Amino acid sequence: MLFPADFLTRLEYLSIMSKRVFRGTLLAQRRTTQMGSGIEFSDHREYSIGDDLRYLDWNIYARHGDLLLKRFQEEQDLHVYLMLDCSRSMAFGQPAKFDLARHLTAALAYIALADLDRIAVVAYADGIVQEFPVTRGKARVLSLMRFLENLSTAGQDTNLARAVQGLLHRGTRAGLAVVISDLFDEHGFQSGLDQLRSRRFDAHVLQLHDPKEADPNLLGDVEFVDIESDSVRMVTVTEKNVRTYKQLFQQHQQAVRDYCANYGLGCTQSPSVVPFDTLVLNMMRASAVGR
Amino acid sequence: MLFGAPAAFLLIALVLPIVALYILKIRLRRIPVSTNLFWKQVYDEKPPRSLWQQLRHWLSLLAQLALLLILVLSIADPYFSWQSLQARRLVFVLDTSASMRASDIAPSRFEAASDAANQMLDGLRSRDQVAVVSAGSRPEVVLGMTGHVPTLRRAVDSIHLTDAESSLDAAIELGKQLIGDHPKGQVLVFTDGCAQRIDSEENPMDVKPSDMTATQPTSAASSESTLSATANKVDLTNIAVTEPAQTIEVQYRTFATTAGNVGLTQFQARRSLVDAIGYEILVKVRNASDQPVKGRLELELDDVAIDVIPLSLKPEEQWTRVIEKTSLEGGQLKASLTQITLDRTDANVTNNDSLANVNWLPTDDTAWAIVPPRVVQRVLIVSPGNLFLQKVFEANPLVQVSVRNDLPDEWPADTIVVCHRLVPATLPVGDVLVVDPETSCDLWDVGDVLENPIVTEQDETSALMTHIRMDNVLMPEARRLEFKPTFKSLASTVTGEPVYAVIHRSQGDCLVLSVNLERSDLAFRTAFPILVTNALSWFAGLPGELQPSISAGQMTSLSLGDDLADAEGPAEGATRDVDLASEEKIAPTVQRTLVSPSQQQFPLLGNQVGPLSEVGVWSVIESNMLTRESVAEALDERVLQHVAVNLANVNESDLRPEDTPPSSIGTSVMSGDWFTRPTWFYLIVVACVLSTLEWFLYQRRFIT
Repeated sequence: MLFPADFLTRLEYLSIMSKRVFRGTLLAQRRTTQMGSGIEFSDHREYSIGDDLRYLDWNIYARHGDLLLKRFQEEQDLHVYLMLDCSRSMAFGQPAKFDLARHLTAALAYIALADLDRIAVVAYADGIVQEFPVTRGKARVLSLMRFLENLSTAGQDTNLARAVQGLLHRGTRAGLAVVISDLFDEHGFQSGLDQLRSRRFDAHVLQLHDPKEADPNLLGDVEFVDIESDSVRMVTVTEKNVRTYKQLFQQHQQAVRDYCANYGLGCTQSPSVVPFDTLVLNMMRASAVGR
Repeated sequence: MLFGAPAAFLLIALVLPIVALYILKIRLRRIPVSTNLFWKQVYDEKPPRSLWQQLRHWLSLLAQLALLLILVLSIADPYFSWQSLQARRLVFVLDTSASMRASDIAPSRFEAASDAANQMLDGLRSRDQVAVVSAGSRPEVVLGMTGHVPTLRRAVDSIHLTDAESSLDAAIELGKQLIGDHPKGQVLVFTDGCAQRIDSEENPMDVKPSDMTATQPTSAASSESTLSATANKVDLTNIAVTEPAQTIEVQYRTFATTAGNVGLTQFQARRSLVDAIGYEILVKVRNASDQPVKGRLELELDDVAIDVIPLSLKPEEQWTRVIEKTSLEGGQLKASLTQITLDRTDANVTNNDSLANVNWLPTDDTAWAIVPPRVVQRVLIVSPGNLFLQKVFEANPLVQVSVRNDLPDEWPADTIVVCHRLVPATLPVGDVLVVDPETSCDLWDVGDVLENPIVTEQDETSALMTHIRMDNVLMPEARRLEFKPTFKSLASTVTGEPVYAVIHRSQGDCLVLSVNLERSDLAFRTAFPILVTNALSWFAGLPGELQPSISAGQMTSLSLGDDLADAEGPAEGATRDVDLASEEKIAPTVQRTLVSPSQQQFPLLGNQVGPLSEVGVWSVIESNMLTRESVAEALDERVLQHVAVNLANVNESDLRPEDTPPSSIGTSVMSGDWFTRPTWFYLIVVACVLSTLEWFLYQRRFIT
């Protein structure tokens, strides 16, 4: 069973913790950057003909003679898009990375729903495989869990860019996009995230990996079987090869971190053996520090 | 190349499973990975499974096959023809005599010799064969010819010292017989050189250590002639011996210094011939050193001190003394040399502290002897009257004499009856001495008077005739006796008529002397009281007054009175236990055991025992054994006899090898050449190298 009996209890605990400790950070009480008719002042802009004179800042006009219009932050529902990597590489490891990814998806969705935000889950591999439509209300969490439970790994060529493209083509409203993946994407993870950025999505990367992927403890003549592409490669693994592999893996992880740092994206990297609730708390704590 | 075990080549068939397993093994392990993204980059730098990697597998297979071949080859025990030609047959002769116990070479001469023998084993060449012979009281082959060094080492270590004298010459001869006609035979003798002192003339073919400094190697074996040219010139000498038939080299390694020693070289005790309760002690003490010494000789009888004699011995002096003592009970007499020190009061003493110890061998500092006990005997003389006869018995303090003039109606028990002239029709039960019988009885008929009865034959071997000469004794009116049962004549006339005879009866022995004491001059002769004393001793069961102490390593005959077969019935004094046994219908058996001074027990199978190689008092113990459910239980034990064993050997007490200065143990020169080990050893070394190579290749292929 993917979700044990106490899973909802742990989600509720996570939701409360996220409001108490991390209020106004990643998900809970998050405002949009949309300007509108809110009550919370945001900034000024120059008056132009046709603007509503009720928002003209008369005090500034009286002092300086400038016509400036007051702007307010509009409170809107946050749309949270959880992009779940369903490629076969996610089935690797013990426990499988995919199981942890689904737990994380459920946890983040629950926290968002509990905060009256809207969530959507996009399962992708070669492209979008399945989709849980935008929804709101905690009551939907059970159907979401059923959706996640029925998901399985598929595909032979993971392509985040294609999945993002599919998401954007549907005219999706911008919001928070959380990519939960191992980012083993031969096409590169950057193009997909670039598209999200360009469409003003607030992206967050949650990268999972199995300890054996970081430190493959093997030597000698072996036959590598890529469980995603089913491709076979007969190699002789030496200590030097293993060292090179570890360097390349670390470079990949570093590239993800650098990318997110460069473009202001949230980034969480974790081995798949960490419990999901611990990982969520760590992720929110990191986001709070970053903001 | 030759092979000791060519059948081992059948093991080459193991190639087949190795190749089969190798073919099965090269199917690679399938390792699932989440992505080939990184492995691709790793191996894009060089093509997978390079030629070296491919070749490495073949190298591995070749290494394994070579390893197998080498192991098979080593099991086949290969050797070269020149190895077999150069192989030697060696015999290690270890002197285990008492003098090797001396501690002038720490920890002892024997330990040093044993260590040297082990060192020589280290230098043994391949295909050399060695036998180990110990030269104790008699030569003994400890281990036959073998080239297995651990077994040889165990054999050398298993040799123990004895307290006996050395049988070095016999051991060397035995070693030569073991070598046979082998062209490269050698006898290596590890000794202290003390055994050759006396018999150095006996075997001129072997050059003894005393001749070593003057003799040069003369034969083809001079390749090891450096032995005699060592700095100390003593301890290791190589002497070639040429015999008409063959050449067997005898090398001596001497482990000795000029250490002095003072020892008891003789210690005996015997009953006095003139004093019934007296005994005489013969002691010889020798100072085998070139320094004057002083000390004490302490004598103890059954652990009670009876005398202490101060000693002051000049260099090379032998001190001899006969000491007279008295004791009715006898016992174990022990002599001990104590407080032996350099006599610094002597003007000739060398003032050198290194010579302070002048007594390096403890074995001969103590000696034992057995003083036979005297038993008081009751004698009833039935005689019409003869003062000579009565006084002979009364003069013996060990005899309680009672005299009657007529034959009693009832004969007393446990009494020796002496019937003079008066003889009952049936002789009484018990031991009886009949002198000049006038009438016939159940054992003989009295015949005519003998004419000119001159004794011409007497049994010299009988204990009854010890110290007696009856030649030229006039015996007028001696009577002819016609014995009915079997008798043994102790003295007889020229016509063969017995005048002194013994008759063995089941109820007691009988001695008959058919001499008229009143008419004969036998009563005036000293032979008569000795004859009576012998008869009394014989009746008492004592073989004589002397139980000699024997030298260590000698055999001896026990005087146990009866054969073991006769003694297998229940012994006296064990009546209750025997009854107990009979209730359980289990028959007790008599077992005789020889117990050494160190309490080691040896079953006694006959009256001849030995060699007794340990000094001290040995005991013969008779036990009534009851066996219940295979578990033997001793009902009672009694000591039948004691045997005193002493070193008592001048050669062994003199620790100085003749003309041999102090020596140190030389180094082994058995073989210092290369390639001294067997071929299989080097093959195993190569196999180890190959195993390392294969291990390296294996580690390159598999997860550690």
